[in-house]
Amino acid sequence: MIELKNISLKYGEREILNNVSLTINDNTIKAILGPSGVGKSTILKLMLGLIKPNKGRVIVDGTDITHMTETSLYEIRRKMGMVFQGNALFDSMTISQNLGFFLRENMKLPESEVSRRVTEQIQFAGLEGYEEQLPESLSGGMRRRVAIGRALIFKPHMILFDEPTAGLDPVSSKKILSLISSLRKNNNLGAVIVTHILDDVFNVADSVAVLYKGEIIFDDVTDKLHEAQHPFIRSILSDKILEL
Amino acid sequence: MKSSPSSTGTFGLIPLLLTKLNREAKEFFFTMQEFFWFSLRAFLAIPKAKRYWRDVLDQAKICGADSLPIVLVSAISIGALLAIEVGNLLEDFGAKTMLGRSTSISVIRELGPLLMGLMLSARFGSRNGAELGAMQISEQIDALRAFGTDPIAKLVTPRLVAALIMFLPLTALSDFAGLNSAAYMAEHYHRLDPGIFWNSVYPRLAPKDFVVGFLKAPVFAIIITLVSSFNGFLAKGGTAGVGRSTIKGIVVSSGLVLIANFYVSKIVLENM
Repeated sequence: MIELKNISLKYGEREILNNVSLTINDNTIKAILGPSGVGKSTILKLMLGLIKPNKGRVIVDGTDITHMTETSLYEIRRKMGMVFQGNALFDSMTISQNLGFFLRENMKLPESEVSRRVTEQIQFAGLEGYEEQLPESLSGGMRRRVAIGRALIFKPHMILFDEPTAGLDPVSSKKILSLISSLRKNNNLGAVIVTHILDDVFNVADSVAVLYKGEIIFDDVTDKLHEAQHPFIRSILSDKILEL
Repeated sequence: MKSSPSSTGTFGLIPLLLTKLNREAKEFFFTMQEFFWFSLRAFLAIPKAKRYWRDVLDQAKICGADSLPIVLVSAISIGALLAIEVGNLLEDFGAKTMLGRSTSISVIRELGPLLMGLMLSARFGSRNGAELGAMQISEQIDALRAFGTDPIAKLVTPRLVAALIMFLPLTALSDFAGLNSAAYMAEHYHRLDPGIFWNSVYPRLAPKDFVVGFLKAPVFAIIITLVSSFNGFLAKGGTAGVGRSTIKGIVVSSGLVLIANFYVSKIVLENM
């Protein structure tokens, strides 16, 4: 379980988050919806301890990680997998090397186990035959699947997606969303999805938090979003995609 | 009625300027503090470098073998030019036989290491800045942290170790090439016997000349690697941001190389 308690964050004079509280339970898919530049990705980075809040606490599985040192955070971070918006694959490494890199780096596993897990993720992502290709030679959807495979290879409890369908064509988007749903069904894996696309929320999320002007203006099960009366939520429900 | 700049208007600017100055001073000291911790972490990670020995070898090739041509070209051209110009001056005083001595001191103490430093700042430093900046912009550095790898140990320390290893032989080769091109020009341009040239080189060179020259190599290696890598890590704002951070890395490291060149010479020559 990940908890954000009364988080406030400023970049210089600019206030990004103001007293934000969120709870993400295990084995659920939670969406964080909001317009671009509102601080959604920042929330994911706070959950991983990549940035520190000015106020408030971040608690992961009962451990307060707010003021943890970088070295102590490594263990916590391995409980979560992260899929970055631009995938963040290492462009000088092949797909297999990208998938196996962090296993070789951070876990003392025998090479046979690393190879087994890499093959498992290649099959899961449907990328057989592309093992020795560089990321640049793959399509956007394929690269996203490699990034998901890399996040899964540690067998995390929770996976964090930053705009998982942004920049993808409708077919690839659908594949990614069904992949996310299957992770929960087949692997009992919880997920946090940051998105500005309303359809993504309705397609996969159990609950949704809406972030607007640095504050959470809605946090409930996805179906109840239709009943929300906040003018911003009413406007996005009619437009479907947030262009603000 | 003509209006003149009112005293309140002029004085009104002062608080604004002071606020701006205060903000910039704070930013500067904050950046310096960040740079200090960044550098400290890079040094503390040196024992981990053997884990990344492949990266060390890759970087050694980039800053060593791949940089050798540009270092040699600059050393050869400056050695040749130095021999021509200094030879012309010495000829006026009838002291052309001192050409070997003057060029060897200039090349070994100052120009060999300095030119190598500036060339590597442009070549190795720009590569560091651009590569790490692109990794920062594409969130690859965040990915390393997110999956439990120390990005400084993985990306910066191998560069630092490689530079510390390779800058010394590069300095030696730069000196060798510079001196030989000077000797070539002395013989073919000034018609000076090679024996006279080299006789004025070897007996006159003192240990402090080599200490000055070779002490600069590790100093420049540290400055160039850390400054360019730090600026790469600070890159933000897309591809234009990578360009800005790369340029900043080169400008700052080149400036610091020039300043360090002066102080290393001054300190060593005053104390030896």
